[in-house]
Amino acid sequence: MVVVQPLADAALLTLAAEGGAGAVSSPLLDLVWTIPALPLAGFAFTALFGRRLARHAHLVPLATVVVSWLIAMAVVAQALGGGFGKGGAGITLWTWVPAGGFSVTVGLFVDNLTACLLIVVTTIGLVVHLYSVGYMAHDRGRWRFFAYMNLFMFSMLLLVLADSFLVLFAAWELVGLCSYLLIGFWYRRQSAALAAKKAFLVNRVGDVGFALGIMLIWASLGTLDLRAVFARIGELDHTTVVAIALLVFCGAMGKSAQFPLHVWLPDAMEGPTPVSALIHAATMVNAGVYLVARASPVFAQVPEAMVVVAAIGIFTAILAASIAFTQTDIKRVLAYSTLSQLGYMFAALGVGAFSAAIFHLMTHGFFKGLLFLGSGSVIHAVGDEQDMNRMGGLWRKIPVTHWTMLVGTLAIAGIPPLAGFFSKDEILGESFKLGFAWVWGIGIVVAAMTAFYMWRLMGKTFYGQPSEHARSIWDRIHESTPTMTVSLVLLAIPSALLGLALGLPFGDSVLRGWLEPVFIEADELLGHGHAEFALAGIDGALILASVFVASVGLVAGIWLFGAFRAAGRPATVARITAANGLTRFLYQASFAKWWFDDLNHLLFIVIGGRVADACWWFDRVVVDGTVNGVGRLTVDAGRGLRRVQTGRVQNYALGIAVGLIVMAGSYLLIAGR
Amino acid sequence: MTLQSLDAYLVLAGALFAVGSFGFLARRNAISMLMSIELMLNAVNLAILAFGAFVPGLAGHASAIALFVIAVAAAEATVGLGIVIAIYRNRRTPLVDEYDAMRE
Repeated sequence: MVVVQPLADAALLTLAAEGGAGAVSSPLLDLVWTIPALPLAGFAFTALFGRRLARHAHLVPLATVVVSWLIAMAVVAQALGGGFGKGGAGITLWTWVPAGGFSVTVGLFVDNLTACLLIVVTTIGLVVHLYSVGYMAHDRGRWRFFAYMNLFMFSMLLLVLADSFLVLFAAWELVGLCSYLLIGFWYRRQSAALAAKKAFLVNRVGDVGFALGIMLIWASLGTLDLRAVFARIGELDHTTVVAIALLVFCGAMGKSAQFPLHVWLPDAMEGPTPVSALIHAATMVNAGVYLVARASPVFAQVPEAMVVVAAIGIFTAILAASIAFTQTDIKRVLAYSTLSQLGYMFAALGVGAFSAAIFHLMTHGFFKGLLFLGSGSVIHAVGDEQDMNRMGGLWRKIPVTHWTMLVGTLAIAGIPPLAGFFSKDEILGESFKLGFAWVWGIGIVVAAMTAFYMWRLMGKTFYGQPSEHARSIWDRIHESTPTMTVSLVLLAIPSALLGLALGLPFGDSVLRGWLEPVFIEADELLGHGHAEFALAGIDGALILASVFVASVGLVAGIWLFGAFRAAGRPATVARITAANGLTRFLYQASFAKWWFDDLNHLLFIVIGGRVADACWWFDRVVVDGTVNGVGRLTVDAGRGLRRVQTGRVQNYALGIAVGLIVMAGSYLLIAGR
Repeated sequence: MTLQSLDAYLVLAGALFAVGSFGFLARRNAISMLMSIELMLNAVNLAILAFGAFVPGLAGHASAIALFVIAVAAAEATVGLGIVIAIYRNRRTPLVDEYDAMRE
């Protein structure tokens, strides 16, 4: 039974009063629960009967995602059209934990932020499901794959629709589980199994922080309902709010792979490519960004915590970009690029440009999803080869993949008028104007680096002379199946046009209009006014600067790796390392991912292993020794005293007599004194 | 004939008790041990009656207690002999140091 709960919730009276949102009741709101429920049903069906369906296992999951997408689009249209009121609307499904004073209800909540996420999750989810039909066509475990994918869709949709921290946390863990299952999908491969375990463990580190944050919220406010928490967060003292904000951010760092918890994401590329596109580029890794944006009223209370967010974000951005320079695995380059772009989003959140972060989340979801699906198509074409050094010159053989990936590359590089330009420029421009010149400075360097390493990827894969490996299989290189190429085109369109659709007019864009009611509280707390947009002034200069650095990066990339590179001038590894000590060091640092995996190995395997050994020794020798000692003493004492039991009545009688004499005698001695 | 000394009675009772205890501890025959118990009980009875005769105000109590002890001793002897006969039928010996089934 679905109960429509209007906004007139006690905790929300203030919000409703100022937002002017009346009681919302809509037949569409009653249908919101079907958006996550359909993929869940698809998961249950496929998990139970998928194996028997064999080659047709994808039909039910695909159908549920299509219907879910249709309903989601209707809900999104109504939400963004103002149908649910300014503050959004929610429904309560049932009471999950009724425990005296502590009660958690399971409810869904739709506002404009959720609507934006719904667009990304359901659309990319749909396209990736479509793509997987072709990509997984020859895999015997495809029913398992589609079951997991549907479970992931359910979890991710629950995550963005959740109306309380506990439900959100449950969904948070569920997406982590799906990520684990899908990274380790080819579980017979040692590296995949290890990567899955690594992702799961590193995520746990962040999740512990998130769980502590939720506990702190409950301990200090007594409620976990998102809107009630945000309405009352101002009552708490400053230190508590800082702690809550940083703990919640800790969870976001794990899920969105921010430094120092970034190490799991590149390894997660062991999973099938559609998984990399959907989970590890377009949706799940955005959960952290969504969480921080959702909790913007909390973060806005404590600007110092936001500085931490911005610093970690922009540091991750430049760190990951520098690593992407030298990786040769096509998917790993994209993985580091994802890290870098996520860093951008956190930098935007940290400087207080919340809607810019969500903008970049949306555009990045589409173009990075496209790039990953494109890389999957390339990998398919060259016979499951992921090393870019063994590709080259492929653009004539796989034209659809090439052209769509070119769109994605230009989009991520920030070339106008493609999507990435608008969102990235908004992040950079906002951080400069909000007084974070250092974020802008690093960000602009990262923008140039992004354009460069993306063109390096394109150049090594598609242009220049084919490598020996590519030549040896030249006749077998073929374009992918129609479901895959259609998916690529479907994602290329928003990658090209989403920025134009949402990012114009400058300074007062469509998306900002949508998200204004969500972030108005945070903006007011931070004192962000609505600055007039000056195309001929500062804003125009900032746009020119970001376009300029993107072009510089792109030109450098084209010069070194591009279609027009002169023969005999390749930027080979040998040339770079031979140039001088600094370049050799930088190359090695980048290639070894700044030794973070080695550092973790040293810290947790070597040193942590020693500590664990010491603990084990203490447990074995001291703790077990004490316990066993007590036991042994009892046994030995019993064995000794056993001799007393002779079984002869007269021995016992003698004992009684002697005892009596001793007692009576001592009584007489004492009494007679 | 008048007996003036309580001590004489108590010494006799003590001697009887000592003989009984020694018999109980030293004799191996179960019947002899029961007889030793009777000796000890009678020693105690003698002491009680002696106190009753010499201490004014205890006479009535002492007689009652002595009667109880005689009755209980009779019952004890009955039960004890019954047990001894039952064991004898099982083990074919009256010697208690052969009854060691309860040993560890």
